[in-house]
Amino acid sequence: MNKIPRVLAAVLLVAMLLSLAGCGTSDGKTHLTFQIWDVGQRDGMQAMCDAYTANVNPNVEIEVQVTSWGEYWTKLEAAAESNTMADIFWMHSDQILYYSEFGMLADVTDLYDDEDPNFYQEHYSDISILNATGEDGRMYGVPKDKDNVVLVYNKSMFDAAGVSYPDETWTWDNLIDASQKIYDVTGKYGYMAYNDEQLGYHNFVYQNGGCILTEDKTQGGFDQQATRDAVKFYVDLQSYEWCPDQAYFAETSPGTAFLSGLGSMYLEGSWNLLSSMKNYPDIEGQWDVAVLPAAPNPVSGNGHATISNGLTYATAAHGKNLDICLDVLKYFGSEEAQRIQGESGAAIPAYMGLEDTWISAFDQFSYQLDLQAVMDQFDYAVQYVNNSARPKWKSNVVDIMTSIYNGSVDIDTGLDQIQNLINTETAKKLADK
Amino acid sequence: MAEQKKAKTKMSAAAKREQNWGYLMIAPTIIGLIILNLWPFVQTIYTSFCEHLGFGQYKFVGLQNYIEMFQDPEVWRATWNTIYFCILTVPLGLFLALLVAMLLNAKIKGKGVFRTIFFLPMVCAPAAVTMVWRWIFNADYGILNQILGTKINWVTDPNVVMIACAIVAIWSNIGYDAILLLAGLQNISKSYYEAASIDGASKITQFFHITLPMVSPTLFVVMIMRLMSSIKVYDLIYMMVEDTNPALTSVQSLMYLFYRQSFVAGSRGMGSAIVIWTVLLIGIVTVIQFVGQKKWVNYEV
Repeated sequence: MNKIPRVLAAVLLVAMLLSLAGCGTSDGKTHLTFQIWDVGQRDGMQAMCDAYTANVNPNVEIEVQVTSWGEYWTKLEAAAESNTMADIFWMHSDQILYYSEFGMLADVTDLYDDEDPNFYQEHYSDISILNATGEDGRMYGVPKDKDNVVLVYNKSMFDAAGVSYPDETWTWDNLIDASQKIYDVTGKYGYMAYNDEQLGYHNFVYQNGGCILTEDKTQGGFDQQATRDAVKFYVDLQSYEWCPDQAYFAETSPGTAFLSGLGSMYLEGSWNLLSSMKNYPDIEGQWDVAVLPAAPNPVSGNGHATISNGLTYATAAHGKNLDICLDVLKYFGSEEAQRIQGESGAAIPAYMGLEDTWISAFDQFSYQLDLQAVMDQFDYAVQYVNNSARPKWKSNVVDIMTSIYNGSVDIDTGLDQIQNLINTETAKKLADK
Repeated sequence: MAEQKKAKTKMSAAAKREQNWGYLMIAPTIIGLIILNLWPFVQTIYTSFCEHLGFGQYKFVGLQNYIEMFQDPEVWRATWNTIYFCILTVPLGLFLALLVAMLLNAKIKGKGVFRTIFFLPMVCAPAAVTMVWRWIFNADYGILNQILGTKINWVTDPNVVMIACAIVAIWSNIGYDAILLLAGLQNISKSYYEAASIDGASKITQFFHITLPMVSPTLFVVMIMRLMSSIKVYDLIYMMVEDTNPALTSVQSLMYLFYRQSFVAGSRGMGSAIVIWTVLLIGIVTVIQFVGQKKWVNYEV
């Protein structure tokens, strides 16, 4: 009677040991994990990793793991606390200041010193470098890509309404006129003004010469008339009959509405264009992209602006395989790896001069989007809004904006609250140092 | 005297051995409980007196989180939302579950099939259930508004959104509660009903004087469970209402608020204080129920 369970237990034990061995490095190679959040970029990232194995270090194999954006930061923070982060991972401007402040990320400022001490400055734009820099001025990530926000429009609806397509001469007034005409003729929504920061009002604020944070990032910019006017303009757009209200967007995102042919214009990040082309072949050729419309009477500047962000590759400060990981990061920042990234269509390489590789990824489609618009916008792009206190104020600002939109808070009061919140949290953060 | 003492120690040695075995047998469960439930609870209490600086570093701030919490209208709103959710789901849900259980207890063809169908929502992942309901509720393209010919903003109207969530909650739980109640119903001896009908009692009288008292212990257990899980509601609302939804404040439950404080805003101290407040709330409600049960739960058969 007793024998059978014992035999079973022995078999189980052996099986468990075997599976444990499977996790280890039984083949003599180092296995690294690479954590990302965008499933659309998995293949491009894997191609880069495979190129590293093939061309640099055959003893290292890297596996790409995708976690959805929502879970990514919860997981990464928990892993950081127990020093069990993935070997290599993507870092976002929202979080890099927070992670670097607590010493979670490896310093990569001197990564290329043996080759060229000015490597970053020569091959990466200032915005790319700023997006990878911590509060102390050191770099905690290798620039990965750059993006900006473009106006996506439905050509068929413009044709039907007899309105000319958006171009660089467009201002906010054109946006309203075109929306009204399209709505009158086709009954479809015009510009879909969604309550979003990066894909919404932040762009309008900077176009108008205002700012979300002041230049030194110690104060909010919501006390400036230009900022307030731009936010008011943006919020008021939803009072037009051609703009859906936020209740509509809570159920149907502007992207979904646009790609289902329900609306004629919305703001989209350049990182989503390839997947829109791939996933909606039915409407290929019916839509295109343009530069953002300019502010008609900007307080300063020429009225043009778009928010530009960039991700970085990072590794843990105290990881087990730190040396190998740094070597991988070094490769990821090289021209060769950035080219692979671009050609896979994953994102626009941060490496200057490789922008065309990303455009070439769209050659697979019969209709060519006007991607030059994306490139033109880099001339007047504004760095993604961030300071070290942002994690403390970001979600509260979203809440206040939601209250402004649903009318429970008057817009002037709401903007004062936002200004107050940003200043208080930022001052608190600065005082802690 | 000496003999007696000796006997006593001898007895206790044997008893002690048995006792040790007892401890050994329950050890896995107890250790699990301590590590997975008790210790985190103690930590949560501690965290609620701290400010989270980042990456697990805490600064002790005393009662500050609690003071801020009770001054925050959002917390009171979330508390009311949670209670409102319970009011909407528990009585109606229990009533419907009892009704379904009685129908399933009747002599009808294909009883097994119906039991399976009613139990199905319990088998589905809550996230999947909610996704499907969101499509049903969609104001512009959802099937519900199409059928009714209305344009109700089920998920975005502050006055309606809670009802929409309650519908989903009741729908998903009805089968599980009904199965539990069915077990209770099947324990009732047929002879009571026979005796009652010979005496000329109507079906309704039979229900109130036989069925309800006899099933009340089961009903009580189901009610306690349902109330607790309703107070802790999170996943359903999280899936139904995203954080840019204009109706968010009208539907945000305490656990949703906890999630947003702890994991979105990163203030784990405040989040923990909200959890402690919720635990207190559950405690109060449960005490009230145990006091109240004496009035209506019948344990004598």
